Amino acid sequence: MIRVEAISKQFVGIQALKQVSFEVGANEVVGFLGPNGAGKTTLMRMLSGFLTPDEGSIEVAGFDAIMNAREVKRRIGYLPEHCPLYPEMRVDEFLTYRAAIKGVLGRRVRDRLQMVKMQCGLEQVGHRIIGQLSKGYRQRIGLADALIHEPELLILDEPTVGLDPHQIRQVRSLIKGLAKQHTVLLSTHIMQEVEAVCERVLVIRSGEVVAADTVDNFRKDASLDRSVIMEVQCEAVAFQSLSESVAWIGIARMDALADGWLRLELNLEEGYLAEDVFAWAAEMKLVLRLLQTIESTLEEAFVAAMDEKTGS
Amino acid sequence: MRIFMCLLKRELRALFYTPLAYAVLFFFWLLSGLNFFWLLQQLADGERLIMALQLLFNGPLLTFSLPVVVPLVTMRLIAEERRLGTLEAVLTTPISETQFVLAKFVSAFVFYLILWLPAVIYCGVLKGLCLEQGVVFLGAGSLIAAFTGVILMGLFYNAVGLLMSTLTTNQVVAAIAGFAILFGSLLVFMLMGYSTQYEAVRSVGQFFSTFAHMLDFSRGVIDSRVVLLYLGNSVWLIYTSIRILEWKRS
Repeated sequence: MIRVEAISKQFVGIQALKQVSFEVGANEVVGFLGPNGAGKTTLMRMLSGFLTPDEGSIEVAGFDAIMNAREVKRRIGYLPEHCPLYPEMRVDEFLTYRAAIKGVLGRRVRDRLQMVKMQCGLEQVGHRIIGQLSKGYRQRIGLADALIHEPELLILDEPTVGLDPHQIRQVRSLIKGLAKQHTVLLSTHIMQEVEAVCERVLVIRSGEVVAADTVDNFRKDASLDRSVIMEVQCEAVAFQSLSESVAWIGIARMDALADGWLRLELNLEEGYLAEDVFAWAAEMKLVLRLLQTIESTLEEAFVAAMDEKTGS
Repeated sequence: MRIFMCLLKRELRALFYTPLAYAVLFFFWLLSGLNFFWLLQQLADGERLIMALQLLFNGPLLTFSLPVVVPLVTMRLIAEERRLGTLEAVLTTPISETQFVLAKFVSAFVFYLILWLPAVIYCGVLKGLCLEQGVVFLGAGSLIAAFTGVILMGLFYNAVGLLMSTLTTNQVVAAIAGFAILFGSLLVFMLMGYSTQYEAVRSVGQFFSTFAHMLDFSRGVIDSRVVLLYLGNSVWLIYTSIRILEWKRS
């Protein structure tokens, strides 16, 4: 659906994007992650056709975004950051106007209006003036606007920013629902959002892509200390003496359970995994009833990716 | 064309959503009324009927208020879209910058024509008075020339206002810059046109003076050079606005 090849963008005194390349397949939900000022919004503005790259190429649904900008824009539903709307217009009036300028014709305008209002929970506020509505409703109007012309690709720049937890849940479940029929690009720095909605992540830092993978792989690939939880039938002192002979195992925590078993949290050196612990335990003839890898959270993986880049 | 009409309709509605539009209409129509009252007094005092259109279209109250009124209307055209962030939302739809800017310009120009509606009514009143008095009113040619002048000046004034609104995000700055250019050029060229010392200065002043042009138009004179000057200036100002909008995105 999207093919971005070596795009760069420079503003006065700032290199916003440097040789960014990636691909997104049809019906994928991809999360753009990155700290403030990383270049997420610039990238989204380029994909939506608002900005043009200084170099490189962008292809959406087989059309070149610069040569065939109009065809590309027909296929994109874009929700910009801060969700800009005309505050003096009524909801129905605004959505009808937006449908018309996006090329939705005649009777289909009414059908699409009813459909997006239902999808975004706006049935009760169609006659209301936008400026008098809450932030949550305005965000939903922005989403309805992005959807009104049935685009193949949805580009959402921080769609839940400024919403309360209930509204965030509503918007996330709406995006999840949309993902069945649309390709979705979602920019955010809320990790739970990515975990809840996205299949893949694209991490940007200082205008460069530092990671592009599935959410699960990104978490696993992060260069964090590996940790495992283990329950073993052994006495604490005995286990300690056994483990002292193995350099790659570090005991982070040790609790004697009421049933006589020992619960341990172990930190493993880089390159060692749970299966190595299992093999060692078997060699030591230790009886195990639990051995589990503690997966790093997306947040930890993200911080690690940022640190890796800065070398800190 | 359908999309253009859609954009134009929204722009016109947006204009009338703001109290400023009504304040401007009230202010300008009040001045038009005062100007007409003054014109009737002049005619009652024995002024020739042939002077009526000059007094109606080129009265000082209107001549000097237009450089204030037009930038007040045009200041919001692009600057407000940029301030609200809606420019990004509009320009990521399949419409072109040209369609967008032209819709903005035409909406402001339509409002400008609405400002001049009382002049049409006053012409009708004058014609009625002439019929009552058994005097022959001025021919259609004089009226066409006067309204041509109004239209050409409107195109130019609104194009200046549009360009100023494209250049800045601040509406007040756009209004002040528009006023400075329009009022400044009106005053400078008018004074140059009345200069008696230097022939060259006088001819340059007269060639560029909006005041002198409106005097000619309201006398029934349509000079093709002046028509081209106004049309040419309006076209390049609108074209520059479109290019600036494109350039700011690249």
